[in-house]
Amino acid sequence: MSENTAALTAPSDDDGFLAAYGFVPNLFRAQSRLPLAVAAEQNLIHAAVIRDCRLTRGQKESILFSVADARGNDYCRALFGSATQDKPPHDSAVRKFVVKLALHAPWFSRHDVATLRAVGFHDEAVLEIVATTAVGQMLCTLADGLRPAPDRSLDHRTSGPIAAAGPFDWSEDREGPYLGSQAHSVDKLHPYNFFTKEYGFVPNLYRVQSARLDLVEAEIQALTQILLPEDFLSRIQKEYIVLAVSAANLNTYYVAMRGQILSALGGVPLDESDQIVDDHDQSSLSVADKALLEQTRILAAIRSSGNQFEPDRLREHGFSEAQIVEAVVVSALVNFLNTLQAGVGAGPDFPPRRDFGRKDLYPFPGKARPIFDVKPLEDPDSDLVGRVQGGDIDVFEELVRRHSRRVFGALAGILGNLDDARDATQEVFLKAFEHIGTFQGRSKFSTWLTSIAINTGTELLRQRKPVETLDQEDEEDFRPRQIQSWTDNPEEFVVAAQRDKLVREGILRLPQKYRVAVLLRDISQLSTEEAAAALQLSIPALKARLLRGRLMLRETLSPYFMRMENRSPDA
Amino acid sequence: MLSCAEFLAEFGDYLEHSASPEVRLRLEEHLRECKTCTVIVDSTRKTIRIVTDSDSFTLTAGEVEPIVNDVMARIRQKTR
Repeated sequence: MSENTAALTAPSDDDGFLAAYGFVPNLFRAQSRLPLAVAAEQNLIHAAVIRDCRLTRGQKESILFSVADARGNDYCRALFGSATQDKPPHDSAVRKFVVKLALHAPWFSRHDVATLRAVGFHDEAVLEIVATTAVGQMLCTLADGLRPAPDRSLDHRTSGPIAAAGPFDWSEDREGPYLGSQAHSVDKLHPYNFFTKEYGFVPNLYRVQSARLDLVEAEIQALTQILLPEDFLSRIQKEYIVLAVSAANLNTYYVAMRGQILSALGGVPLDESDQIVDDHDQSSLSVADKALLEQTRILAAIRSSGNQFEPDRLREHGFSEAQIVEAVVVSALVNFLNTLQAGVGAGPDFPPRRDFGRKDLYPFPGKARPIFDVKPLEDPDSDLVGRVQGGDIDVFEELVRRHSRRVFGALAGILGNLDDARDATQEVFLKAFEHIGTFQGRSKFSTWLTSIAINTGTELLRQRKPVETLDQEDEEDFRPRQIQSWTDNPEEFVVAAQRDKLVREGILRLPQKYRVAVLLRDISQLSTEEAAAALQLSIPALKARLLRGRLMLRETLSPYFMRMENRSPDA
Repeated sequence: MLSCAEFLAEFGDYLEHSASPEVRLRLEEHLRECKTCTVIVDSTRKTIRIVTDSDSFTLTAGEVEPIVNDVMARIRQKTR
C-alpha cells in the first residue's frame, strides 16, 4: 500500500465526526437512512480536507467557509465559520480562485490555474484546493436539499466581497488537463482497476489525480456507495440525475461521459440522453422521473434562478423520504464531481455530443460578463430593490406598478384564464415582498419575479388539476398544415381589437409549456436567456418550445391572415 | 440538402436572424428549393410580429392601480 492510500483509514460512523468536529453535524444525521453514503462523504472529507498534505486542515476549512459564504449557505457558513474563527483568512488569490470555481465553473480555464502557480502553489496544492472546493459544493448541496437545523450559531463574518470574483473574460484556453497529466500507465493498478472493471476504461478525471491515490480511492468509494446501491432509487434514476445536474452545470465532460454510461448500462439511446440534457420534460421519461429531474436540477451548483428544492413536489409523485434524501445525496456527489472536473480540466473521454460553450453562458455577443452572482449592470430595478431591502416598504409600490403587466402575462400563460391571473398577480407580489431579503441580484429582479410567478402559477394549476394532466396534450405529431401564403401586411387586415382577441384565444389554446414560452418571450418580451432562466430550462430547450409554440399559433392564425385568393369560403 | 423536417427543427434562430453563418447558408439553400418552407418562414415571422405588437395580455392602467393598492395595503397590514 502506498503512502497515500495508507492515509485512507478514516474512521467511520459517528466516531469520525466526533474526531473531526467534536460532534455529529445535523447535515449527516439527516442522512441516517443512507449509512453507506454518509461513510463515503466522510471519507471524501477526510481525504480532501482533514488530512494535512500541501495545505493544512485550517487552510482547507477556510476554503470550505469561502464556498459556503459565496453560495450564501447559512448552514455551512455556521459550520465552518466557527472552525475558521481563530485562523487568518487565506490568501486572496486562493479565495478568488475558489469563488470562481464554486460559482462560475463554466468560465474556468487554464489561466485560473496559472494564476495560483504564479503565486507559488504547486500542482498538488492546487489539486487540494480544487478538491476542497468540490467538497464545499457537495456539503452546500446537501444543506440546500436536506435543510438541517444549524449546529452552531451563525457567524456573520464573511470572507470578502463576492463581486471580487468577477466579471470574467472568456478564455479559449480550455484544453485540459490544467493539472498533472492524463497518465496512461495506471490502468491496471489499484485503485484504477475499479474503472476498468466497472466502465471498461479509466476516465481522464481520475488519471489526472494520480498524485493523490487516497483521494481517487475516496472518490471511488463515493461512486460505489452512492451510485451503485439500488435500495431506494434505481441505478438508472441516479444516472438520469447525474446527467441532468451535469447539464444544468454546463459540464460538457460529464454530460458526454454519463450519456455513454447510460447507453451501456441501461440501453438508453444517446438521442434520449441528448433530450434529457436539453429538456427532460420533452423526453420519454415517466412523469415522476421528470419531476425528479426538475427538482434535482434546482440543486445544481450553477443556479439559474432563485427556486428552492421542494421535496413536496417529489412526495406528490410517490417518492419516499429515503428516495428524496438519496436524490439530494446523488446531486451533491454530481456537484462534487463536476467541480473537480472543471478545476483540473480533465480532457474528454468521449467526443462530446453537446459542447457547452460561451453561447450557453451569456448570449449577448461582444459583452463578456457572467449572469450569476454579479449584479447585472443593466438592472433598472436595483436601486429600488436595495431600498426595499433596507426597510423602505413604500418603494415596493413602484416595483409592483412596473412589473404587474409582466407578472400578469406569465400567470395568464400558465393558468390560461385572465381572471385567475389577475388574482394570482397579487399573490406573486406578496411572496416577492416576503422573500426580497433573499434576492441577491444574481439575476435581474424582473427575472426573479417572473420565476416566482411561474412557481405560483404552476402551484395553482396543480391544485386545480391532477398533476398528470399538466402537460398531457398530445402534440408530438405536430406538423404545419396551413401552407398558404399570408397577406403582406396582416396587421392591417383586421382591426386591432379583433387582432388582439385572435392572438389571445390562439395563445390560450396552446399547450401550457408552449404557451408560457410564447408569453414570456413574445408578450412579456423577456430575452431568450431570461425566459430560459425563469423556466429553469436550457437555452436550446426554451428555443425548441418557443418555436413549437409559434408554429402552432401560426397554424391557428393562418385562416384569418392568408391571401384572399387562398381562402376557403367559410374561413 | 436538408429535408423539410430537418429545416423545421432548425429554423428557430433563423427566424430571429441569429443563426450562425453556416446554419443560415444551409437553411437558405433549402429555402431556394422549397416553397412550402418559404411560406412557413414568412408566416411565422408575421405571427411573431402580430403577437409582439398585440395588447392581448396587457392589463390596462385602470386594472393596474387596484392591484398596486391591494398589494400595498396587505403588505402594510402585515408589517404593522
